[in-house]
Amino acid sequence: MTDTDTPPPEPTLKPAKRPLWDRISIVWIVPFLALAVVIAIAWQSYADRGPLIEIGFDNASGIRAGNTELRFRDVRVGLVEEVTFAEGLGKVLIKARIDKDVAPYVDADAQFWVVRPQVTAQGVSGLGTVLSGVYIEGLWDDQPGETVTRFDGLPDAPLERVGQSGLRLTMRASDGAALTENTPILYRGVQVGRVGKPVISDDGTTSEADAVIFAPHDRLIDSTTRFWDTSGFSLSFGAGGASVNFSSIASLVAGGITFDTMLSGGTPPEPGAQYTVFAEEDAARASVFSGDGAETLTLSALFDGNIAGLAAGAPVELNGLRIGEVTALGGMVDAGDTGDDRVRLSVTLSIRPGRLGLDGADGPEAALDFLRTRVRAGLRARLATASILTGGLKVELIEVEDAAAAELVESADAPPVMPTTESEIADVAATASGVFERINALPVEEVIGEAIALMRNANSLIASDDTRAIPGNVNTLLSEAQALPPRLDATLAELESLIAQINEDALATRLAGLLDEAAEAASGVSTASTGVPDLVARLEGIAANAERVDLDVLAADLSEFLASTGTLLAQDETRALPRQLNETLAEVTLILAQLRDGGVVENTVATLDSARSAADTFAAAGGDLPGLIAEAQAVLARANTTLEGYSASGGLGRDARTALREVEAAASAVASLARAIERNPNSLIRGR
Amino acid sequence: MSLQKVWAWWVVGLGCYIPANLYPMLETRTLVSSQSDTIVGGAVELARYGNLGVAFIILLASVIIPVGKFLVLAGLAIGVRHGPQISDHRRHLLYEIVEYIGRWSMIDVFVVAILSSLVQLQGLATITPGWASLFFALSVIFTMLAAQSFDSRLIWDTAPDPKKPVAPQDDTSKERAA
Repeated sequence: MTDTDTPPPEPTLKPAKRPLWDRISIVWIVPFLALAVVIAIAWQSYADRGPLIEIGFDNASGIRAGNTELRFRDVRVGLVEEVTFAEGLGKVLIKARIDKDVAPYVDADAQFWVVRPQVTAQGVSGLGTVLSGVYIEGLWDDQPGETVTRFDGLPDAPLERVGQSGLRLTMRASDGAALTENTPILYRGVQVGRVGKPVISDDGTTSEADAVIFAPHDRLIDSTTRFWDTSGFSLSFGAGGASVNFSSIASLVAGGITFDTMLSGGTPPEPGAQYTVFAEEDAARASVFSGDGAETLTLSALFDGNIAGLAAGAPVELNGLRIGEVTALGGMVDAGDTGDDRVRLSVTLSIRPGRLGLDGADGPEAALDFLRTRVRAGLRARLATASILTGGLKVELIEVEDAAAAELVESADAPPVMPTTESEIADVAATASGVFERINALPVEEVIGEAIALMRNANSLIASDDTRAIPGNVNTLLSEAQALPPRLDATLAELESLIAQINEDALATRLAGLLDEAAEAASGVSTASTGVPDLVARLEGIAANAERVDLDVLAADLSEFLASTGTLLAQDETRALPRQLNETLAEVTLILAQLRDGGVVENTVATLDSARSAADTFAAAGGDLPGLIAEAQAVLARANTTLEGYSASGGLGRDARTALREVEAAASAVASLARAIERNPNSLIRGR
Repeated sequence: MSLQKVWAWWVVGLGCYIPANLYPMLETRTLVSSQSDTIVGGAVELARYGNLGVAFIILLASVIIPVGKFLVLAGLAIGVRHGPQISDHRRHLLYEIVEYIGRWSMIDVFVVAILSSLVQLQGLATITPGWASLFFALSVIFTMLAAQSFDSRLIWDTAPDPKKPVAPQDDTSKERAA
């Protein structure tokens, strides 16, 4: 470079200053490329990041910076970057970076709450957060709005879920009904809404909760809709048996509220309208007309005297119509007001303006005006007997004529005081105790004791085996007795034929003849001799004997026979008796036949014939009267003897009786044989 | 040109080493917790629980060696340009060590890769590599490239040789480097 001797310069020798891109290695691109990439990424991430919002919560349980997500419709739209305290440590401030594309929608109406695992009676929710950790759920509408960066988080999930719109109402629990968070609102068994977290109402008398009826079911609600509690179950007993009713298992466990629109023509409610939840459907239905559930008017009244029996809940009636109830009782001593220092009963009354037929809107005021007017006209409160049995009292509002002028005493800090009048309490207790004493005096126990004894005897009689066997025995006896008449008929027929035969044999004629001859003989005798009176006396004796014959004995025998028949009936063989009787009758018939065959009648006839021949001989003897008389005497004596013998021994009748007895014995023997055969038919063949 | 390459790779490698230490190396997510540790943070954590040996190895492989490499490479490159402070022989030995040890720096990245591919129990426990592992791997790669770009003969070129003029040597060295 410093060589200047040579004339021609040698610029070529001097190495040309190489361009920058030759002297610098191509490798330098790499760091610059890396730098460019880093800058690009940094710029992009800065440009892409959304705004940072702050959400205030009561606590940050489970929320961790850099980890907890912010979700909308369960899609991640942001991440918690920082968890700090708000000023004064009053709240936890969650700072979350939300995605740029959803940021415009997160406006003033956005709501945030923390989704945590929850186990309630309605079920388990947020189970996924057990593993993944909690997340913050956001809810906002689909309209972009003014950007807001500071929010207050909700302690619980709001009633409306994402994408659900509905009608918001305020539920007010009436007495006996309970509001529970998340209770489903059912309509015809379909869930159409939900109840939010209940709070105590501003006046402290009941609990209130927000509720939502999801669209499109909100059109079911109008001003005549009434809600009631369907939780739990009802048990009823009736003629059809017992029944248990509950609407669903879920509502049994978790409770439920249902509703119905009672009347047509109601007006659609304003959002946030207040409804009362009744404990029962009946109360809900009744409230449409009674105006229950509206605001009540509170009055008080001071009563003198004994007020035992009045209790909170006792009815307040006007002209018999229940218009309210007693809500509280208390004693009061106010010398200044009442003039003495006696203790008076201060009763607080709750009047339902709706029951008075006044409009519900300005109910209490209107009711107060009404009462004020009526009190001037003589309306007074008094105690009256509500129930004779329990002695419970009620408060009656009644018009008293010629009442001392009084006003409804109103003061600023106490309910208006209603003037009172004399109580009308029936002394039921004394009357009732008298009635009870009289009932006590009744000999109820003796009567019952005797009745029991009677029943016991009848029972043992009925229960005895003998008694039970009677109907069967009687039946058999009757059936067998039915077989008797034919036999009797046959016997009678035989007897008839016997008599007919006797007639045919002209016994009577012969007897008549005999008697005629005897009469002739007698006349002969009377004309002849002196022994006639003796003969007459003898004849009389004969007649007397004949008279004596048998009647008594026969009667005795007959009764004896009847007795033995009774015994027979009492015997075990009673059943066999009819058969035996049949047989006996058959045998009797046989005997009669034999008698006929055996010629008893003929014998008699023959005897009579011989008697007649004797008489003939007697007559023929004619004049030999004394001898004849002697013979007649002898004959008569013999006849007398015969008759006496007959009388003494019972004669034919007794023989016949003996024969009957033997026949009877034979019959019973046959019967026992028949029984034996019946028991053991083989004996007929084998002989034993 | 050789030195330029060295410096270029060196710069990129150092650039990658910075995020490798700032970002988490491993993200361990178990059922109940998730944890992410940087390299130094993890080593300190281990040391706190008493695993001093393991902590030392991690520090050695992930901090001391890479930092040492950066220092040695920079020292060598400066030595070539401005004249060495230590003997040629020793400088060559350092260069050999850097070359040899460079590949072993990847052991961290391998551990992360193996762990994250083995421990993938859905829901129960998951290990995922953090951003640092990528940057650490890039850093190692770039430092290896830097070491390879360094021509070891340049060490000896700078040795004062009285027999030969300096200028042509300079030319040849430059040409060789190019």
